[in-house]
Amino acid sequence: MRAVFKREIQSYFYTPAAYVFMGVFVALASVFFAVGNLLARSSDLTLLISNLGYLWMLLSPVLTMRLIAGERHQKTDQLLFSSPCSLTGMVVGKYLAAAVVLLCTVMITFVYAVIVAFWGTLYVGEVAVSYLGLIMLGLCYLALDLFVSCFAKTQMTAVMLGFGVNLLLWLSDVVAGATTIKAVEDALRFISLYQRFEPFTQGQLGFANVLYNLIFIGMMLFMSVRVLDARRWSEA
Amino acid sequence: MVIFDGISKRYGAHQALDQVSFTLKKGQVLGLLGQNGAGKTTAMNIMTGCLAPTKGRVLIDGHDVLLQPREAKRMIGYLPEAAPLYDEMTVQSYLRFACELKEVEKKHIAGHIRQVAERTGLVEVLGRKIGNLSKGFRQRVGVAQALCGTPDVIILDEPTAGLDPRQASEMRQLILSLRGRHTVIFSSHILSEVQSVCDRVLILHHGKVLCDSGLNELKTRENKLRAVIAGGEQALLAPLRSLTKFSQVEVIRGGEPGTTQVLLTVREEGAERELFTLLSSLQAPLIRLQSQERSLEEIFLQTTAQ
Repeated sequence: MRAVFKREIQSYFYTPAAYVFMGVFVALASVFFAVGNLLARSSDLTLLISNLGYLWMLLSPVLTMRLIAGERHQKTDQLLFSSPCSLTGMVVGKYLAAAVVLLCTVMITFVYAVIVAFWGTLYVGEVAVSYLGLIMLGLCYLALDLFVSCFAKTQMTAVMLGFGVNLLLWLSDVVAGATTIKAVEDALRFISLYQRFEPFTQGQLGFANVLYNLIFIGMMLFMSVRVLDARRWSEA
Repeated sequence: MVIFDGISKRYGAHQALDQVSFTLKKGQVLGLLGQNGAGKTTAMNIMTGCLAPTKGRVLIDGHDVLLQPREAKRMIGYLPEAAPLYDEMTVQSYLRFACELKEVEKKHIAGHIRQVAERTGLVEVLGRKIGNLSKGFRQRVGVAQALCGTPDVIILDEPTAGLDPRQASEMRQLILSLRGRHTVIFSSHILSEVQSVCDRVLILHHGKVLCDSGLNELKTRENKLRAVIAGGEQALLAPLRSLTKFSQVEVIRGGEPGTTQVLLTVREEGAERELFTLLSSLQAPLIRLQSQERSLEEIFLQTTAQ
């Protein structure tokens, strides 16, 4: 696992992959910050963090596309499959590397909090909980898109599939709001990642929401391992 | 060392491998031969745990590849048909990654990389990016990766494919240097290559083993001897047909007067000795004896045609 993690980290930072991801995220985040905080003269960062959550939906597949589908396309996965490294170790190692890039990206946005603290009033507790929610949402999307990447043969397919699944998940919120059937609404709200993210942006640190996110990540990684294992039995 | 026990692999309706079995002793070099789609790569992928068989099991030094993957895979070095290389990495960092994957102790990694690089002729390019290397060097890096961790079993899938004649020759030398120290399984379309490197050949055809034998045994099997003997056909033919180590005796007409020319099909080893003994007892001088040894190419074409 450690070897895979190290290689992935090197691969992210020795190629433009991580920098492009960080650059696009920070550029968009800066626009949100400029419009929502600087121009509006608001020190409330929770709205900004809430908006940043939507960026994961767009950018997470870019980070995960190479992890499984990229290896499969370049046939480098055979090196990993024929090594003593377990499938679980491989998947977790790759996931943690992507998580590190995500955390580095979030840390860059801490500069907004510094700016607000310098010029206005920063509600540290509220912002900290919001950031925790943002990170957990990002980690959930990474796990989901890593799982989706297991079904793709090329990086482009992985990105498209990732966008599609993320969009569907987001739409489940919209459908939940529009439906009149209570059971459907409850089910959709239960699976919605944004429903779990919202309380964080209001400064509420709920144990159930943290647990839900952790279980979601665990499930996605577990299913990724199962899909990769199943592929050994069926692939031509 | 390697037991491939009743392996079958089915992709939907297509039977890629059908009850393939063979055993390989330590230090042997096995050449896997077969046309495209014969099942060579599937067999290698199953051996290395990249694919799971539909039926059967693979044991590497007693460890089942599916049930004890970690123990079994520690003993395997694999170079797939397309070398699994990361273009953005340098040769050094790639080999370090391979060593870490193969669980080489951290303190030994630097020395081990140096050793592997020397064996594969990569010392001068250790600091270069893999993406900038020539095809020959890329293939060497692939072999070097397979050697990391000093595995007992090295599996090479068409290691000379796409190399120019000089690079291919160097690669063959490299494989020859592995002989004895490692058990090597390699596949190739180039029969002369198999002939020069392997001591055992396994011919696969439509997923089935058509032939599994030692290279010398294979070449002597149905090997023919052309003999010119002083004496008349009447006196020689009956005793020659009584020889037990030849399966067939054919007379070739049109030879020198006073001689008999025959084509003898060898059944088993020691046939020449039996022939000499007979002719000596008959006091019939042997004027010429030529071996009509078949090339591996002929054997392969004949076996797969059948």
